[in-house]
Amino acid sequence: MGIDSIQQVIENATPEYSIGQVALGIVCCVLMRFIVVIYARRGLRRVGFAVSYDLRQSLFSKVQQQGSEFFARMGVGDIMTRAIQDIALIQRLIAFGSFGIVIMVYAPFFAIIAMTYKSPSLTLLILPVLPIIFLYGWKMSGAMADSSLAMQEGLSALTTHTQENLSGIRTVQAQAQEQNEINRFWVTNDQYATAFYDQARINSLMTAWMPWLASAAQLMIIIYGGNLVLENQLSVGDLIFFLACLNMLLQPIRMAGMLVTMVQRGAVATRRLFEIFDAKPEIIDNPSGLTPDIISGDFELKHLGYTYPGASEPALQDINLRIHRGESIGIVGRVGSGKSTLLKHFTRMLDSSDGQLLVDDIDVKSYPLRQIRRQIAQVLQDPFLFAEPLRNNISYDDPDRTLELVWGSAESAALKETILEFPEQLDTLVGERGVTLSGGQKQRTTLARGFIRDAPVLILDDCFSSVDTETEEHILSRLKSLRDDRTTILVSHRVSTLRHSDRIIVMDEGSIAESGTHEELLALDGLYAELERLQTPGADSDRSQDMELSPV
Amino acid sequence: MTDAAIDSRPSTTRPKRHDHSMFEAELSGNVLNLHLLGRIMHWLKPYRLGLFVSAFFVLAASVLAVLMEIVISLVLVDYIIIGQSDGNMPDLGMIELTQWIEHSLGIPALFSAGIVFFVAMTVHGIFGHAHRQTLVGAIVKALRDLRQDLFAHLETRPSSFYDGVPIGRIMTRVTNDIEALFEMLRGIGSLVGEFVPFFVALSIMLSASVELTLILLALVPIVAVATYFFRQATREVFRLVRNSVSSLNQNLQENLSGMQVVQLSERQSLNLKNYTRINKSNRRYEFRSINLSTFYGAFNDSLASIGLGIIIWYGGGEVVQNEMSLGGVILFTRFMGMLFTPVVMLGEQLNVLFRAMASGERIFQALDWDEQIHEPENPVHLHGRLKGRVEFRALRFAYKANTPVLKDVSFTVDAGEKMAIVGRTGSGKSTLIKLLGRFYDFDRGTIFLDGHDLNDIHSRDLRSRIGVVLQDFHIFSGSILDNIVLGNPSVSREMAIDAAKTVNAHGFISKLPEGYDTPLVERGANLSQGQRQLLAFARVLAADPEILILDEATASIDTETEILIQDGLRKLMVGRTSILIAHRLQTIQEADRVVVLHQGEVKEMGSHEELLAMNGLYAMLHELQFQETQ
Repeated sequence: MGIDSIQQVIENATPEYSIGQVALGIVCCVLMRFIVVIYARRGLRRVGFAVSYDLRQSLFSKVQQQGSEFFARMGVGDIMTRAIQDIALIQRLIAFGSFGIVIMVYAPFFAIIAMTYKSPSLTLLILPVLPIIFLYGWKMSGAMADSSLAMQEGLSALTTHTQENLSGIRTVQAQAQEQNEINRFWVTNDQYATAFYDQARINSLMTAWMPWLASAAQLMIIIYGGNLVLENQLSVGDLIFFLACLNMLLQPIRMAGMLVTMVQRGAVATRRLFEIFDAKPEIIDNPSGLTPDIISGDFELKHLGYTYPGASEPALQDINLRIHRGESIGIVGRVGSGKSTLLKHFTRMLDSSDGQLLVDDIDVKSYPLRQIRRQIAQVLQDPFLFAEPLRNNISYDDPDRTLELVWGSAESAALKETILEFPEQLDTLVGERGVTLSGGQKQRTTLARGFIRDAPVLILDDCFSSVDTETEEHILSRLKSLRDDRTTILVSHRVSTLRHSDRIIVMDEGSIAESGTHEELLALDGLYAELERLQTPGADSDRSQDMELSPV
Repeated sequence: MTDAAIDSRPSTTRPKRHDHSMFEAELSGNVLNLHLLGRIMHWLKPYRLGLFVSAFFVLAASVLAVLMEIVISLVLVDYIIIGQSDGNMPDLGMIELTQWIEHSLGIPALFSAGIVFFVAMTVHGIFGHAHRQTLVGAIVKALRDLRQDLFAHLETRPSSFYDGVPIGRIMTRVTNDIEALFEMLRGIGSLVGEFVPFFVALSIMLSASVELTLILLALVPIVAVATYFFRQATREVFRLVRNSVSSLNQNLQENLSGMQVVQLSERQSLNLKNYTRINKSNRRYEFRSINLSTFYGAFNDSLASIGLGIIIWYGGGEVVQNEMSLGGVILFTRFMGMLFTPVVMLGEQLNVLFRAMASGERIFQALDWDEQIHEPENPVHLHGRLKGRVEFRALRFAYKANTPVLKDVSFTVDAGEKMAIVGRTGSGKSTLIKLLGRFYDFDRGTIFLDGHDLNDIHSRDLRSRIGVVLQDFHIFSGSILDNIVLGNPSVSREMAIDAAKTVNAHGFISKLPEGYDTPLVERGANLSQGQRQLLAFARVLAADPEILILDEATASIDTETEILIQDGLRKLMVGRTSILIAHRLQTIQEADRVVVLHQGEVKEMGSHEELLAMNGLYAMLHELQFQETQ
């Protein structure tokens, strides 16, 4: 290190001080250095963690704005790897790498000044070596970038593979697929190992040849300088001083291998993080400020159409529909007919590609996104629960609600008796570390989560599938009395559920095929009437074979 | 066998209950767990050649590093420039070598020293690279194998294990913990590379000046003591850091998985606030750990500088008194680096070591987790095609002690019969089929398959005879075809397509952009529920098992697909014993007989008509079903 060389200078060039004084000087330097180094390192390391804190914050708030398209592109496992590994790489680069970079810049600067002062000819001698070192480092850093990327992607793949496999472990075992899966894992595992090895190889090459180049420069100085000393043109002390300066110049080059690795891995990590940061939110919140504070639940869909990115066929086309305040609308249609896509427009989980959705006669995009999602409560098909107590899961949007309200909505969702059976009742923890609820219980919990919001509009996307018919009837009749004057939209495959709706919309291939009351549609003798016949027990079970059915 | 006889089986066959909270518990946290290193050796063994080669190269490279220092100080400074050599310092033949080159090539001593140095330097570079390559190669392969073994071990743990331990916990063992182990092994490997020069340098220094060397060595215990105190001080902080990191990750993961709910509930700002709180406390603990580790690092560095001061003070005096040559002092200062680097490095590596020790413990805990399905010692081998007669006899089962799920279930499903099981949630339907697939051990009561006690059949053998379609149908990454074939070599592409055609899956598959070769993503997100169900049927049909178990998916399938599914199911059931957890009236009507389960007991049994006539529980359930479509 630089300071060490100064100590050598003192020792050799100044005979007028006693050795004791020199040693005392060194101790003082050491103490000062101790303090400086502590502060410098501590500062840099703190910056490293401060930056990773900020990165995590940005990542978290950024992913919250993303829509389904983003999550289809980037899986949860992938985002997690980026949030954990890539942020850690950047933190390390700042905490440890920047120290090296600072030394790399200032040490050669002072060293070259001091060397030129002592012997310009010697200094000139080593200059040709520097570009070679630079070019080699440049070339290797490119290779390093590629191998780092391959390695980080390998790790992502490994994480995703493991997670996916363990989530489906029961199927794996039921199908006696363990050995197959173990073999399949080997491929991912080995690929990662290979990528890791490649990266280490390039790293090691740099660790070997950068110092070699540095030593070559040193050797030249020794031979040429040694000659000068022998010819009495240079003192031994000056040669040693010169070598020490050179050491200072070359020290950072010795570390260059490690530094380049760190910088390159950090760069790859940054790129991967910015893929998240730079992703534009699919839904843009740009309220006009001219919208009412409370929506009444009046909707008008005008030529609404939507095409998923990359899809050739539109998922929805030319939907025209008017929903009045207080109406209950039932939607039915086969899978892929566009029901869920349509519902996503109401809460702006999707924005239409064509046409308009008017809420109280104003374009839905003019409302603050927050208002739309707060005042239109949507219950999803897939019952997702958080690893929190039941109470928090039910009152998820606003944890400060009173217990009475929570119990009330639990009762509306026919969940109260189930909860009463748990020893910890509403404080029962659900999910991985708590009680595992059955499919029906989960669905009723998500229903309660929708009911508690008491919103002007309630949308239920096929969320009775795991609830038995008896309970469903009970919930629906209760719902009817609770939400008499408010808009409710409900998707179901069961005619028994749909028939109570004021109006039923039958969707087919992205369009509205039929619309009307249960009786009207039966009289129409179209798709709905067919559906009703199919669902009536006693219908000839062999019918399906005679029917001309277009596959899903 | 009577009921009493079953109960009186030796208790040793009872499944051992595992406490899954142990899987999460903080482990011993020993500073140096030598036992752990011993276990890792098992995986390193196949690559020992690489490790030995690596050790050879690091040895040779360290000797060369020492030689290079000698060439500079003793040959160049003392012998060539000053013209006197220090008799005390062994030059390891470097002066002679230089002289020999000097004479045989007829070049000046300076150049011949240059040649010696250049050769040593080049070989040092090559050896160093060879050392690192062989070392990393061996470690990477060893840990790859360890990871593979760990995965294979986890893959074969029974359902009860996965019921008790969150997947996230298991995941980190396969990924992060193995990574930590790698850091540790590489750290140890490079420490070896540093300790060889340590001893070479030490022996040369001792031969030159015992006193000076001993004074320098006195600094080493100081480093060791400092390390000890550092470890004491950081233990708590590191624990806090670890905990905060894992709650950060958990929080993020949960939010990502439930993002739609988050957005629909407009919880973003509140969730960000919660996350910020955890993130902040993580930063606070990290800062605290930095304060300690920086102080410790700087302390070590400074000790090295103090050592330097001692050499100059003491050695300088010796030079003045002509006891030591100038080259000798230079050599001492250079060697001192070799003496301190490994000690300082050890200190710096300590964090990595501690974390890796904990990781290693977690990995081996997972590997040692011996929870498994009790396999018979002398399994009955099933030959040829089974008839498929299933008998449940006095079956009892409880997941947790004192809360029985099945209480004395006895009934028989004849070969080729279609048996529907109905009952409310919690009646024990799912448990019954899980026991039939031997996903859980049971010892109270028996299940017979063609007269063989199920517990005498190896679960692998059994499961190849049973086709299970669960409600939560798992899609594996790969093509549609891969998902039908599932790696079964006896299923050809044609057979898979035939199977898909039979169960009505061909229609939607042929409409996909790449047909049977269309890649499916994680959890099958690009297929609808109904399509996944049809694919599951094709999978089972292709495997052609003797017994079909179906946990019928509940609704959320449009009526037309529903018809396709019903039709596919009918074809699937042909020629096999079928046990169906039925939710649909139509499925029940298709069945030959119906078993009605209620609170873990068989309440009623018979054909659909017979049961209706009984006007009992089934009639009531049926009434509810029937109402739906009237």
